[in-house]
Amino acid sequence: MTFRTGVIVGFCALLGLVWIIESGAADVFLEATRPDFQKIPLGVVGIDHVGGPESPEGRAKLGNRIEEVLKADVRRSLVFSLVDLSNLGIKAGGRGGEPDPSFKQAAENGVSVIVWGKAGMKADTKTPDVSMDGYVYDAGSDEVVGGKRYAGSTSVVRLMAHRFADELVFRYTGEPGIARTKIAYVSQQGTAREIFVMDYDGFEARQLTTDGFLNLMPHWSPDRRFLVFTAYRNRNTQEIDMIELATGKRWTLVSQGGLNITPALSPDGHFLAYSSSHEGNAELYRLDTRTKAVLRLTTNAGGDLSPSWSPSGRELVFTSDRSGGPQLFLMSADGTNVRRLTFDGDYNAAPAWSPRGNWIAYVCRTPKKEYKLCVITPDGQKRMQLTTGHGVDDSPSWSPDGRHLVFSSTADGKSQIYMINADGKDLERITFTGTHNSAPTWSPAS
Amino acid sequence: MVSRVVIFREGIDGDHSPLYVRGDILQEGINPMKKLPASYLPLLLAMLVAVTPACSKKAVQSGGDGQTFQQETAKSGTMREGTRKGGVSPNFPDTAFSGRNDSSGLRGLDRDPSEERLSSEAGSNGGFGGNGGSGSNGNKLMAKSDPGAAARQLAEIRAEQIASAAAELRDVFFAYDSFSITDEGRHALINNAEWIKSNPNTQLKIEGHCDERGTSAYNLVLGEKRAKAVRNYLVELGVAPDHLSVVSYGKERPFCTEHVESCYSQNRRGHLVVRTGN
Repeated sequence: MTFRTGVIVGFCALLGLVWIIESGAADVFLEATRPDFQKIPLGVVGIDHVGGPESPEGRAKLGNRIEEVLKADVRRSLVFSLVDLSNLGIKAGGRGGEPDPSFKQAAENGVSVIVWGKAGMKADTKTPDVSMDGYVYDAGSDEVVGGKRYAGSTSVVRLMAHRFADELVFRYTGEPGIARTKIAYVSQQGTAREIFVMDYDGFEARQLTTDGFLNLMPHWSPDRRFLVFTAYRNRNTQEIDMIELATGKRWTLVSQGGLNITPALSPDGHFLAYSSSHEGNAELYRLDTRTKAVLRLTTNAGGDLSPSWSPSGRELVFTSDRSGGPQLFLMSADGTNVRRLTFDGDYNAAPAWSPRGNWIAYVCRTPKKEYKLCVITPDGQKRMQLTTGHGVDDSPSWSPDGRHLVFSSTADGKSQIYMINADGKDLERITFTGTHNSAPTWSPAS
Repeated sequence: MVSRVVIFREGIDGDHSPLYVRGDILQEGINPMKKLPASYLPLLLAMLVAVTPACSKKAVQSGGDGQTFQQETAKSGTMREGTRKGGVSPNFPDTAFSGRNDSSGLRGLDRDPSEERLSSEAGSNGGFGGNGGSGSNGNKLMAKSDPGAAARQLAEIRAEQIASAAAELRDVFFAYDSFSITDEGRHALINNAEWIKSNPNTQLKIEGHCDERGTSAYNLVLGEKRAKAVRNYLVELGVAPDHLSVVSYGKERPFCTEHVESCYSQNRRGHLVVRTGN
């Protein structure tokens, strides 16, 4: 696929998406989110470790580490199925990126894509420097369709694998992939809870705030530059703050007295929806980020909170206890056309609208009083429970490709962060340290 | 008038029969008030009064918060930019999103690839390092943070704890999913009200706490309902509202971290703190 056809396909997909949103059709799946989507069989021959000393940070050789990260990325992409090449007599790719004759045999066995490469420490630079080459053989055209060459410090070893994985996803789907996405979350530090950001696979965690008290429920700006979250000024009042990730610079956006919680920026970044109780009980408001004008969206005796934008930015799903226990409601982005979405169970909360628009994930309380993840279509016609067992599941957040959810759970005792496919398969724990990790929120794709 | 009205909504836990059936969904959009049961009317009335500016200072539901908050902002926050007293900041950066480019920072596979140099954050394109920018900005994280903040917070919390322990103020405990004050809670608050009235120069903070069950977000709402129920009852007992502020910590600052009911019941509390200094 050339770049131009890629653009055309992408444009058509965008047109399609607009049509879906326009038509209000909720139950439409795109490409790889379709249940009958056939994954592309991909085999990784290996990333050979070449030259220089081994990686200084670990015992494993550099090539093996990159290969391990790459394979995990490929598996999580859900675009490819990872094929075990060991029984197919595949030899490593030739020098300079020429395909080995044995690749044809693999193609006959149904392997569509074969990947191999090499990585090593550069000996000729002052600081320890890493280089990686990766090559891609496509069985359909029986040729090496291309490769990548990366260089950087030892701190970008994982990023090399992530970036290569995203190139593979982009080459075969026209989508950017999720291997370079981030997850922001809350982590306990002593008695405080601070905002952190890590890679989508749980590695490379970095602390963003050092307030020494509570910072809660971060949410990304659509351009990934900022996080909005709830902070406590001097422990006594709440406010909604924004932090710029590149600089650590911080602003207070809303400080209205009472609750100032669950901020969420609209997909175009023009509006901040949030819940505040400064006029009595918790109500939803919408702040225009350009004019700074505030529009009150809800007016009722119940608590309204946790707004989540539809991908079109035209609707919001939110939690409200106006009818007793918390339930999900939908409304237009100007507060009109309110209707209740959930009717199963007496506790449904923390909604997250999928980036494809076709599902809303939320926390549902089961008849056994367990708090688990559920998904429901925006028309309320289809509903599915994704997780089971003990532990309180909370704060579901979609991956930008709509194929995964990240959430927190106390299933293993302390609150930790987990990832699961949108169909409830492949549950994977991604945080392992600390006493409390919660409120994960997945960044948009880059 | 409203300041004497104390509203408790009973029966929060247990079964909730839905107020709407599916056929009613459209009607609700047209007239949301129509289906509300009569028991909500006092709450609605109280709220209508509370949102009327002329009444808000007297209203228990909103007055206390508003006043406390203004004292708060006047004294605090030099690190934050764009803060204005009471409300929405007039000045923060544009969060508008112009849309991502087609290749999303990816350059595509190449038959003869040239070297792409990756740096820790700029390489991820957007977010940390700006759009495909060169050079690493990653190390600048937390540039504005205050390393002494955590230690200061701890010292202040300790001072509050000492002052609160000396006052022998009692906590109020709640049932699961409930913000109704029990008989035991009333006894505790009668005791607390006496102390507060005999120490008229004291400022108190009422913290609402929840157990770990349920979502973080909804527990913040529940925690505020508990704190406000405590405040309203203290006001009913004759404590001046301007001595009381409320704050909800939801389930984020538990007293006890085991996953058992004996622990949960300790965490469902309204906790009174004597404010010191700020």
